[in-house]
Amino acid sequence: MTEVAPRTPHTAPRTVSSAFRIFDLSLGQMLWSRRSVFLGVLLGGPVALAVALRVISAMYTSGFRINGAMTPGSTIFGMMIWLLYIRFIVPILGVFYGTSLIADEVDDKTITYLFTRPIPRRAVLIGKYLAYLVCTILLVLPSVMLVFFLVVPTGGSTVAEAFPPLLADFAMLAIGLAAYGALFAFVGTRLKRPLIIGLVFAFGWEPAVLLFPGYLKRLTVAYYLQALVKHEMPQDSAVSMLLQVFREVPSVGASLAGLAVIVGLTLWAAGRAVESREYILEQ
Amino acid sequence: MSDIIATDHLSKWYGQVIGLNDVSVTVPAGITGLLGPNGAGKSTFMKLVTGQLKPSKGTINVLGQPIWNNPSQYFRIGFCPEQDSFYERMTGLEWVSALVRLNGVSESDADRMATRAIEAVDLVEAMHKKIGAYSKGMRQRIKMAQALAHDPEFLILDEPLSGMDPIMRRKTIRLIKDWARAGKSILVSSHILHEIESMTANILLINQGRILAEGNVHQIRDLIDEHPHTVYIKADQPRALAREFLTHDDVLSLRFEEAAVVVQTGRPDAFYARLTDLAASGSLGAIHEVTSPDDNLQAVFKYLVKA
Repeated sequence: MTEVAPRTPHTAPRTVSSAFRIFDLSLGQMLWSRRSVFLGVLLGGPVALAVALRVISAMYTSGFRINGAMTPGSTIFGMMIWLLYIRFIVPILGVFYGTSLIADEVDDKTITYLFTRPIPRRAVLIGKYLAYLVCTILLVLPSVMLVFFLVVPTGGSTVAEAFPPLLADFAMLAIGLAAYGALFAFVGTRLKRPLIIGLVFAFGWEPAVLLFPGYLKRLTVAYYLQALVKHEMPQDSAVSMLLQVFREVPSVGASLAGLAVIVGLTLWAAGRAVESREYILEQ
Repeated sequence: MSDIIATDHLSKWYGQVIGLNDVSVTVPAGITGLLGPNGAGKSTFMKLVTGQLKPSKGTINVLGQPIWNNPSQYFRIGFCPEQDSFYERMTGLEWVSALVRLNGVSESDADRMATRAIEAVDLVEAMHKKIGAYSKGMRQRIKMAQALAHDPEFLILDEPLSGMDPIMRRKTIRLIKDWARAGKSILVSSHILHEIESMTANILLINQGRILAEGNVHQIRDLIDEHPHTVYIKADQPRALAREFLTHDDVLSLRFEEAAVVVQTGRPDAFYARLTDLAASGSLGAIHEVTSPDDNLQAVFKYLVKA
């Protein structure tokens, strides 16, 4: 027989170190997956829009006007961050990646290799969640940068002035990805038809309850994220004024605490689900 | 050495469907074959042994400890699953190394351990190729390498010879025997009986969620005495022998072949005793050859599955 390696130690690796090893294993798989290619194309949408705005701005106007008022490029960029990225792309990324963190391995029947190694099962979830975060940030970052450089210089804004808020935007996007990813990881491990439930939550429940006063909006991620938006929004339309009436924005501290609770609780619950659930692979 | 696997009234249900039904069995050290047709409960048993499923009822201990939700047990266990699933874009070495790293070893140690395991399964030339480009036999071997790489005490191989060509099959059987000789215990499943037969005489026969028999071929033979036992007797006077056999009620049927009679008996011990006496006396001519196809695992299996 060919000699094999010396025996490895029999002390179970800790969750954190195991999670980093799963992260290492998963990141490459996730980055080059078909899902990433598809969502990468989706992230080209805001860039295409920014290119169009830039061309229009250069050809026909010297800036953008909303309801007749000159709107600087930094405000347009802020609107795009909120409406396109935070309210659309980040939840989409969260739904598609978060619900499939474990499901992909189950569908590909590769989960067996991970669950028959001396690591806690929740480390698999956490490692893949970390890989999701890095993967989606790497997808979002170039798109946001391109939009920034295309849109901000129009209408009298300067890149230098708008750069510090851009860093805050990146942080907000990362926090949004973390919160939605954790929430949908929980949905993916606990519920049947997680994709549909995730989409209904992100594009049905959240927009609906945010429109109305009351406590229900606290059961959304967007409620906490909106406090982190630092961009000025145009406020002179009837709709925006109406929305402003109902807009209850928590403080930044309360928002961050709320988002931390969402991430912590949902990841903990998802980890518990993975620990206790049996994954029966179809033969 | 103590038992490798010990189950006590182990059952597993999938909703209304019974996967494994009240199994109490012990598996000793060495190679043990798990035999059964498709759907017999082999996979359920393997998944319970590898801690992928939680028992619905009863207990299962592997290497003396429960396996469900007990990750440190996987230091001592290597599992080669049946399914042909991989991270296709990784090379064989990357894949095995990445999985070994989950055992808590450093990257360089993991590479070294992975390389040794790949050498053991004779796949060195292909270890830098992407798994997606591997043949079925190579994929089987790289799966075995990942099970072996961390040098476990107990290897669980689910249909390991599936898809291998005859030469590789022979090499793999030799490898499995070598691993057993080196002190590893091995549970190997198959639905092809001669594969198991070529590796071990110690088997578990499973069908419809129940262990039909356990032990070596001859012990199993004893267990199935209520089933007909076939004996082939080549003799000078087969018809005279047949007449003698028919005077005993344990003889259930007989037929003639060229210069031979094939007897089915319900009590093999008594039959063999009489036959020995007849051969010794020479009163019904010489008896040249006595063989029992029942000693072939295939026949035992057929009997038990029919039952």
